Amino acid sequence: MANVLDLRRRIRSVKNTRQITKAMKMVSAAKLRRAQERAIASRPYSAMLASVIESLKRRIEIIDPLTGEVRHPLLKTRKEKRVLIIVISGDKGFAGAFNSNIIKATMHFLDRNADKEIDVEAIGRKGRDLFHRRYPSAKFLEASEEDPRVRGQRQRAARIEVTGDHPHLLEKLSFERAREVGEEVVARYVHEETDAVYIVYNEFKSVIQQRVVVERILPIIEIGKHEIAAVEEMTPEERAEAGRAAITAGVTVEPGEREADIREFEDEAKKFGTSEVDYIYEESAASIFNDVLPRYITSQLYHAMLESVAAEHAARMTAMDSATNNASEMIDALTLTMNRVRQAAITKEIIEIVSGAAAI
Amino acid sequence: MADKNQLRVRLVTPDRILVDQTADSVEVPSSSGYLEVLYGHAPLLAELAPGEVRLHAGVRHESHRFSVARGFVEVLPERVTILAESAMKPEEIDLAAAQKELDHGHKLWSEAGDDAEKYAHANEIIREAESRLESNKEH
Repeated sequence: MANVLDLRRRIRSVKNTRQITKAMKMVSAAKLRRAQERAIASRPYSAMLASVIESLKRRIEIIDPLTGEVRHPLLKTRKEKRVLIIVISGDKGFAGAFNSNIIKATMHFLDRNADKEIDVEAIGRKGRDLFHRRYPSAKFLEASEEDPRVRGQRQRAARIEVTGDHPHLLEKLSFERAREVGEEVVARYVHEETDAVYIVYNEFKSVIQQRVVVERILPIIEIGKHEIAAVEEMTPEERAEAGRAAITAGVTVEPGEREADIREFEDEAKKFGTSEVDYIYEESAASIFNDVLPRYITSQLYHAMLESVAAEHAARMTAMDSATNNASEMIDALTLTMNRVRQAAITKEIIEIVSGAAAI
Repeated sequence: MADKNQLRVRLVTPDRILVDQTADSVEVPSSSGYLEVLYGHAPLLAELAPGEVRLHAGVRHESHRFSVARGFVEVLPERVTILAESAMKPEEIDLAAAQKELDHGHKLWSEAGDDAEKYAHANEIIREAESRLESNKEH
């Protein structure tokens, strides 16, 4: 049996671990609050954008009456032969199953679409590392080192290739950076380099309502509606665990006052541009429409990234909470053993003394 | 604020609701030139050009300015909503960054060759950077 000194050392070491996990949990909780606020604050914009498109759509002819073709390239559906999948994972580990869930969902997707050529665009360091190990990078003719935006003809060597990565995008997430990605994606679709664009990300409604979704963002079929190809919900146990973690970290599970404010605004936002009056259009409705569609894609991407960041912090908070609980349990168990060992030693000594005395 | 003839102005960006207040009038840079909106304007929907949104409010006619780019504006008789992908106060503008953008735009422009799409893209960057620099200078 281990001696008292060893046990005491173990306890001390587990206590240190607990301190670290507890600190990490509180840090994640603070980051989560901020990320949550950002995600909520971005909602009015996307809602307004969606409603303006919706209202414009009613006013213009999307389908050319002469040729029967869709007028805008982003609305055109083609047979899916080449697919682009954008994987939004986390930058760091220690977040429970967060990253592995994303990767699993992506792998399922790749398996299901075994007959197509797939480009992977990885956002977030964890996903990038994995896909770079597994699949070759796309090769371009006359690609220059200093400016990655300049690239020539694509040379496809394998069925699944990694076309790009954005490792530091999520660290300091800004709309500007998201826009660069969005514009590139739109350009690729317009130039028919790809026939459909999907994103895999962790949707974040609240701490206890999250799911991994695979969503198709291009072509645009219906505006303001998420076209979800696959989904993985939280299990009830995970949900309960997340709820517990949130309460102990002081993060609200229920929507707060601020959120109620935003919601009211959101409802109003849905009416944006939809008044039943005849607008004067500065340009033709069609031209505004053409400009707004790419923005819609960017806004969707940005929103997915914001939600994913919030979900990552939430996952880390939950993981660190259960790590802290496990450490506490372990300390209790070790303390019990230690006391028992100590008591056994004392008892043994007493017996020795008593029996020694009796022998005399 | 008892005055009834006030416009309710909102400036919304992807990150936040930047402005939500009332104003006497507002100037908006649409893609075909600046337009000023007063209370009771006819419904209008226009695209934004890079430029400045100017809010005029209060008795002393103090004005607030915001440098905006890429977005839309919806005008209703009693309400103006501006959606912009980028919007900031003149004092928030990073001059060095704007200058760099401008140089980058000029570089793209000279390299565009005869690709119309690239030209348009470069021009857009140049216009945006110029409007930002301009806005900061006035400040």
